[in-house]
Amino acid sequence: MKSFEWVNASTIAEAVRMLNTAAPGKDIDEAPRPIAGGQDLITTMKDYTTRPTRVVNLKSIRGLDRITSDSKGGLTIGALVTLNQIEEHAGIRKNFPGLAEAAHSVATPQIRNLGTIGGNLCQRPRCWYFRLEEVVCLKKGGSQCYAATGENKYHAIFGGGPSFIVHPSDLAPMLVALGARVAVTGSSGKQVIALDKFFTLPAEGDVRRENVLKNDDIITEIQVPASPFAARSTYLKFKERESLDFALAAVAAAVQLQPNKTVKTARIVLGGVAPIPWRVPDAEKFLTGKIVNRDVLAQAAKIALKDAQPLEKNAYKVPLTETLVRRALAKAAGVSL
Amino acid sequence: MSKSRDENGRMHDPSRRKFLKGVGIAGAGAAVADKLWTEAQAEEQGTSLKTVSGSVKISLDVNGKTQPVEVEPRTTLLNALRNHLEPAVTGPKLVCDMGTCGACTVLIDGQPAYSCLILAVDATNKKITTVEGLGSPEKPNAVQAAFVEHDALMCGFCTPGFVTSISAYLKKNPNPSLAEVREACKGNFCRCGTYPRVFEAALAAAKKSV
Amino acid sequence: MQQQTQQQPAAKPKKKIRVPRVINGVEQMVEIEVDEDSGPGWGPNDKHTLLNHRIPRVDGPLKASGTAKYTYDMRLPGMLYGRILRCPHAHARITSMNTDAASAIPGVKAIVKAPLEETRFSGAPVAAVAAITPEIADDAIHAIVVKYEILPHVVIPDESIKPGAPKVVPDPPDRKEDNLQQKAKAGDLQKVEAAFATADAIIEAEYRTARLHHSCLETHGMVVDYRGGETATVYASTQGTFTIPEESAKFLGLPQSAVTAVVQHMGGGFGSKFGIGTEGMFACRLSKETKSPVKLMLTRYDEFVMTGNRSASWQKIKAGVKKDGSLVAVQSRQYRLGGVGQGSQAGQPYIYRGGEFYREIYALHTNEDSSNAMRAPGHPQASFAIESLMDELAYKIQMDPVAFRKKNLLSPTYHRQLDRGAKEIGWSRRNAMAGGNPGPLKRGFGCAVGTWGGGGNNQCKVDVTVARDGSVVVAVGVQDLGTGTRTYTRAIVAEEFGLQVTDVTEQIGNSKLGAAVASGGSVTAASLSPSVKDAAIKARLLFAERVAPLLDNAKPEDIKFANGTVSANNKSITWKQASASLPAAGITSHGVWRSDLQATGVQGCCFAEVEVDVETGFIRPIKMVHIQNGGLPLNRLTMESQINGGMIQSLGMSLWEGRVIDGELGMPLNPHFGDYKLPGSLEMPELVPIIDDDDKREAVIGIAEPAVIPAVGAIANAVFNATGVRIRELPITPDKILMGLMNSGPISTAKV
Repeated sequence: MKSFEWVNASTIAEAVRMLNTAAPGKDIDEAPRPIAGGQDLITTMKDYTTRPTRVVNLKSIRGLDRITSDSKGGLTIGALVTLNQIEEHAGIRKNFPGLAEAAHSVATPQIRNLGTIGGNLCQRPRCWYFRLEEVVCLKKGGSQCYAATGENKYHAIFGGGPSFIVHPSDLAPMLVALGARVAVTGSSGKQVIALDKFFTLPAEGDVRRENVLKNDDIITEIQVPASPFAARSTYLKFKERESLDFALAAVAAAVQLQPNKTVKTARIVLGGVAPIPWRVPDAEKFLTGKIVNRDVLAQAAKIALKDAQPLEKNAYKVPLTETLVRRALAKAAGVSL
Repeated sequence: MSKSRDENGRMHDPSRRKFLKGVGIAGAGAAVADKLWTEAQAEEQGTSLKTVSGSVKISLDVNGKTQPVEVEPRTTLLNALRNHLEPAVTGPKLVCDMGTCGACTVLIDGQPAYSCLILAVDATNKKITTVEGLGSPEKPNAVQAAFVEHDALMCGFCTPGFVTSISAYLKKNPNPSLAEVREACKGNFCRCGTYPRVFEAALAAAKKSV
Repeated sequence: MQQQTQQQPAAKPKKKIRVPRVINGVEQMVEIEVDEDSGPGWGPNDKHTLLNHRIPRVDGPLKASGTAKYTYDMRLPGMLYGRILRCPHAHARITSMNTDAASAIPGVKAIVKAPLEETRFSGAPVAAVAAITPEIADDAIHAIVVKYEILPHVVIPDESIKPGAPKVVPDPPDRKEDNLQQKAKAGDLQKVEAAFATADAIIEAEYRTARLHHSCLETHGMVVDYRGGETATVYASTQGTFTIPEESAKFLGLPQSAVTAVVQHMGGGFGSKFGIGTEGMFACRLSKETKSPVKLMLTRYDEFVMTGNRSASWQKIKAGVKKDGSLVAVQSRQYRLGGVGQGSQAGQPYIYRGGEFYREIYALHTNEDSSNAMRAPGHPQASFAIESLMDELAYKIQMDPVAFRKKNLLSPTYHRQLDRGAKEIGWSRRNAMAGGNPGPLKRGFGCAVGTWGGGGNNQCKVDVTVARDGSVVVAVGVQDLGTGTRTYTRAIVAEEFGLQVTDVTEQIGNSKLGAAVASGGSVTAASLSPSVKDAAIKARLLFAERVAPLLDNAKPEDIKFANGTVSANNKSITWKQASASLPAAGITSHGVWRSDLQATGVQGCCFAEVEVDVETGFIRPIKMVHIQNGGLPLNRLTMESQINGGMIQSLGMSLWEGRVIDGELGMPLNPHFGDYKLPGSLEMPELVPIIDDDDKREAVIGIAEPAVIPAVGAIANAVFNATGVRIRELPITPDKILMGLMNSGPISTAKV
């Protein structure tokens, strides 16, 4: 880890100023970084992927570690709320079960005790080329994505190119499915960004980054609106190694059923298969108005994966994700397969 | 989709093979600069480090004792415990240094956490408990005693982490099922293969302490 | 190693025996001379008061409380921290190295370079630094400027074998073709070909196993305590206390006798920790140069690329059987994939006998770090391939795999163990039609067998001292890897004196104590315990001579030691009272190895039950049973733990573990526990370790290694039984299951 300057910020404004006034460094990865739980940031600093000149502690800011509900039942989750708080929160478990499941699916108890929701959304990719200290890949300022033609078992089947990372967050697909927004404060002021506009594809945004945040932007809270489908939400994550693993594929699903059991609204967002949480609107539309049964789910799963473009070593992700789509929807809709 | 895909959806990058194979010394600069930690970066590293970046004096509350210690901002709590505290606190082990094995597990205000993923400067004003703070060879806690009785340790290098995770969990859930014990220590990894007996020990300790 | 020469009484009758000797973890048989008449034995296995019972390990309280001091835990006044700089390239020539900037960093005390010009694998150590903190040492290695001329490399075996591939090893004397060297050839090709003509069924297949990492939780390394004087103490994480002083002394420029090696506790070796290694060499050089203690423990990344590995394998095997299941011929072409090293692989058809065989074994080099011994070197690889193939043949002729094995294994021990294992796992629940169970979650069962030597040799010299206050010390320089060495060493002595384990203290892990064997090849128990027993018997007789006057001058050999008392002639006194009759200095005996107290040759078998989700490819191990014989179990508790450990490591090899390397970058992509996936708590099946007590040999035999061998075949065969998909390449991961299912069509048509 390179040495850096440590600052405890006491207000959001101070944190932004501290990020804004630090020596910028020559490279985007040398820019000052905010730290919350640090469960990802410190690993990237240890492998020299991130080499900030200054690290600004957000945990010293009061009031960002609370979960509150509005009158309609929507949630405001402070950016410093830990994953453990979310998985154990009675209201979330009851009214946003998919969010509690997504939080619980992350890593290990130790990580969840310190890791925060804000940090979880801002994690860097787990791509093994990216994480290898000596490899300067496209995402680290090099000229190519080694996964494109290399060992790409864990890489993207949607939205890849020129980088083929998958987004590692478990909360992101679920929060996108729930229509969440993030409140961001930066040197240009405050803004609220819909989460599905927050993440950027490598071909569209800055390939060095996974989201729209600038160096001095800080997520302050996550807003999860009340919705008619939140109570029927679920998160299904597939790991090769259950004890500790990132998703080979995951599905965040939520459905609202009519009294006649037909689907009124469906949300399906895939994780672990694309550089961003990957929503599949065609499959959502297909489900609308249908009664959930085995055949309908099989068709929806096929539609969800129809545009997949596997690389040489990850074609298995197509049938795998199809299975997860079927199972997640069945669970959300309360039917057995 | 990216323009460089072919009709099968595969990426073509003809430059890759070219620059990786048969690179001579003349061409090495550009090619390697692209690929690996380079001479240029190393040179810069050297020039940017003429001074030791500032040490800071902090105090840490470890096993009920508050002690001053001088560290760099980048010093992890684990390294502060092991390399800076007097006397050294070496129960938590440095194994993966990346939050993937659990051998460095300590309790922060009673909650298990990886001390390799916390900076020491970030651990002030918190109660830090290590395996040494849970019991001693002469006065083991219920989990430590059960580990010995059930042979839940072999080389013993993962043991402090398991003991710490499980001790904290039994406080939270004094009567766990086997499935809950497994879940509680899934962030701890063992190479010798003690798991089945770790589970036995945890369940036995729960019975004793209830 | 012979630091204390024992005065042996002359003219004892001698006999010659063959014993295993382990060099770098590889077992070789050598002939030695031993006394013909050796003295009392262990007695029947079921008559012990401590041994063959369940003894909690004596170092348990220290380890469970975090107070056991490992090498990694040493912190000495003025100690510096070492770090190694690796070459990232798979093959390169160092054209220059500039350490000026690194040296200029405050707190950097020394930089030493590796004595090499050309690196042949990614991760090769090229320099090392010592600094006042590990953080500054990290700065320093990043500030060393190395210029490389990059040379062509090859890391994929299928490319390495091709003519014209980049040369990995420079001009081996017996070069046959590029990167490929024939290492062994056995059997009769003509007879094999003739036998194939008589077979009713033939299967020819290729099997591959991945390169595995020992993953010792305590990385390799040493703390060298040298401050410029005439002596040094070296704390080492090693499997051999006595493999440390000679090499350390060389790099410290001291006589060997001036260097003391200390290894009180060590965090795992599994075959990879013999000698001081490159890291030890650097630690000594840095300490010598700075005249300060230096701690150099490898980083986890270093550990993955510098300390060796279980060689990968590529095995092409053809086998034929008769309809009745009898093997008629096995032909194999086996590649040991040891990187720049030799690799290891047992010759096929491994333990199966019957019919003809012919094999050729080659070392096939790649630009990867050298393989190293790893728990049963070469055996799990060979076992996986042959056990898979035997299974394939059994299905092809529609014969029960257990019956098939019994048909082709002569030893009644295997038959006994297979029957027991089948009962324990519930083999009768198995669906004979692979993949035949309904629904997406499919259960399957598999089995496999294994063998090992496990005998000892005469390297251990043990002292037992009883003081006048009754305290007992057993001393020998041996190391305890977590295998329970301390515990049985105490227990043997305690039992001899009728005492409790807590009444005896052991002193181990120090090269100034009696010489001891290095722990490789499962030789420690069978090498050490006879010497301990010999010392204990001698101490008992010395003690008895002294105490005889208090017991009506009983004959020393008639004096009984039991339950903390010493008795004869209907007189009984306490141990304390008896000890008071000793001379001021107490008594000390010297024990040497006795071949009759140990044996070699063990057998085991493993059964596994798995559940495979054929819609995701996820494999859940449900239950594993391993049955293992081993003569006299010194400590049932720790022996069962060893068997569990073997099953779990073998399970890891089966389902998760393996190096992934990028062919063109030539770099391993998973040198960390995030992507090198060790099994964790949620991966554990129900584990049933069974000690085969039908083995009545009154002799100690090592069992650490055999437990790691058969599980891998049992798991692979269970996966096939569950799914109907035969995965011939380890690890068996969900992607392979799903792709296998896609390629084999609907599951109901699976070949059985």
